[in-house]
Amino acid sequence: METKLKRYEKIEFLGEGQFATVYRARDIETDTIVAVKKIKIGSRIEAQDGINRTALREIKILQELNHRNLIGLLDVFGHVSNVSLVFDFMDTDLEVIIKDNTIILTPANIKSYMIQTLQGLEYLHLNWILHRDLKPNNLLVNAHGVLKIGDFGLAKSYGSPNRINTHQVVTRWYRAPELLFGARQYSTYIDMWAVGCILAELLLRVPFFPGESDLDQLTKIFQVFGNPTEENWPGLKSLSDYMEFKPFQPVPLKHIFTAAADDLLDVISKLLVLNPNQRLNCTDTLKMPYFSNKPPPTYGSKLPLPQSIRKLKEKEKPSLKRKLLESAEGGTLSKRLLFLMLHIDLQIIFLYISVMFHRNL
Amino acid sequence: MIPTRMGVPSNITDNPLSVSWHDSAWIPILNTANVMDYFSERSNPFFDRTCNNEIVKMQRLNPDQLQNMVGLEYVLLHVQEPILYVIRKQHRHSHQQVTPLADYYIIAGVVYQAPDLASVLNSRLLSTVHHLQSAFEEASGFSRYHPSKGYSWDFKSQRGNTEKPKLKEEKPREEPSSLFQRQRVDMLLGELIKKFPLPMPPQAKTISAPIKTESENGTSENKEIKTEKHEKIKPPPEKKPRIT
Repeated sequence: METKLKRYEKIEFLGEGQFATVYRARDIETDTIVAVKKIKIGSRIEAQDGINRTALREIKILQELNHRNLIGLLDVFGHVSNVSLVFDFMDTDLEVIIKDNTIILTPANIKSYMIQTLQGLEYLHLNWILHRDLKPNNLLVNAHGVLKIGDFGLAKSYGSPNRINTHQVVTRWYRAPELLFGARQYSTYIDMWAVGCILAELLLRVPFFPGESDLDQLTKIFQVFGNPTEENWPGLKSLSDYMEFKPFQPVPLKHIFTAAADDLLDVISKLLVLNPNQRLNCTDTLKMPYFSNKPPPTYGSKLPLPQSIRKLKEKEKPSLKRKLLESAEGGTLSKRLLFLMLHIDLQIIFLYISVMFHRNL
Repeated sequence: MIPTRMGVPSNITDNPLSVSWHDSAWIPILNTANVMDYFSERSNPFFDRTCNNEIVKMQRLNPDQLQNMVGLEYVLLHVQEPILYVIRKQHRHSHQQVTPLADYYIIAGVVYQAPDLASVLNSRLLSTVHHLQSAFEEASGFSRYHPSKGYSWDFKSQRGNTEKPKLKEEKPREEPSSLFQRQRVDMLLGELIKKFPLPMPPQAKTISAPIKTESENGTSENKEIKTEKHEKIKPPPEKKPRIT
């Protein structure tokens, strides 16, 4: 264990969450940059129950998974009473990208992010795992434009018919209507709803349904799609927290996503469906024409990076440039000096000649 | 606007040159500041809503970002307050390089696509040929043949009489343009001729010709009227200066 502690060399402090602190570190053995998440021990009462539940979930689930678009758990080690998780290092996340208004998200960029998200999620769902907390903040992006789904603190395997789940999952703005109505048995379609909300947010650059409470969240959803009925959502009224809302007229998606092409509107309308049973799954979504139509998704390295990272990169480069510049300037300076000296020399010679001349006279 | 006049009716809707668009609620408040918003109305058939302008608007970005984008965009090219605005559709390759794709003009609030030179020439040639052809058809209706006298003209028989009065009744109603319009167009044409003098020697003829003219933009309307006035057909010489 001691060797492992030495293997990862801390570079800087990155952030602190409720359960953990994250550092950027260098893996000495492979000479790569990694992120080390050190789980907090918490109070003594918490420690009595053993290791933190979210950390346990991440370890349990991520150890079995390996996909380009899922965050990789590279290593786990303990030290004294701490547990540290070693992940791929990711430069930024979609939330930062969406909020940086110097970035233009072109249709091709959006398509690239969507394909990567859906491919990662498809793999996850095929392995019988729900993420349950998809949001732009948890879609991590590295400087090469690779998107990886991160934060598996709420992830859980699904599929047991008699298993009761909690409906208090997913950050509210990305929470599917069935969860808001208190559904205890749900499936991959809660993740699909969140993906739909993320797609909408990529287009609008603001959260699509920024609800202030659970009721407000449902109101915001129905303001766009109209109220659900027993006809378009059978079984709706048997949900535990179901209640009637004042009627809303649906708004055509075309009026909201004014610059979106029709094939893209199709995708949104298949992901954001009130009735979970009518939502598409990842595999079928990826087969929609939007993903094979023009424009092609942006190649990873061409994807935009937030200002903060761009500045960092620029800082690294000019250091070399400045050196070159300095040496070049030095060169001109010495030349100038040489010229000046030559000039003075000539003047002296001239003076000398004139003096001699006068003397001769 | 004109090429489809005599074409198959079905392709009228496909040809952007044969449609115009306006929203009467906007017309009284149009100005330089809001004319691009007017043009980007959802119902405007000339506006491609997947353009960069709309992406910038939807993503709530700074409009200056347009210059950093690649692809389709619209720009306000020319303004002549309060009546005329010209909007250009162009493909941006880089910060400096753009390729114009089409121009649109908004005159008195109505949006038209400016025709390209080929369509203008095409339509002018077509209408000339049509007028010539109907003149021949009309004339051949009055020709008579008698074995002993040979060919002759007969303008007094029944056929000619029934048609003529009817046409004359229609004439005053369909006055092609007002005196003001004609004088104005004459002036414009005169200036054009001064700018681009005709290479042909018989110049006196062309100066007198533009008296019977049509207004610049109301062409489609006036032309339709002309086709009905079969008896007064001449190949319109006033078009020559415009083409050269």
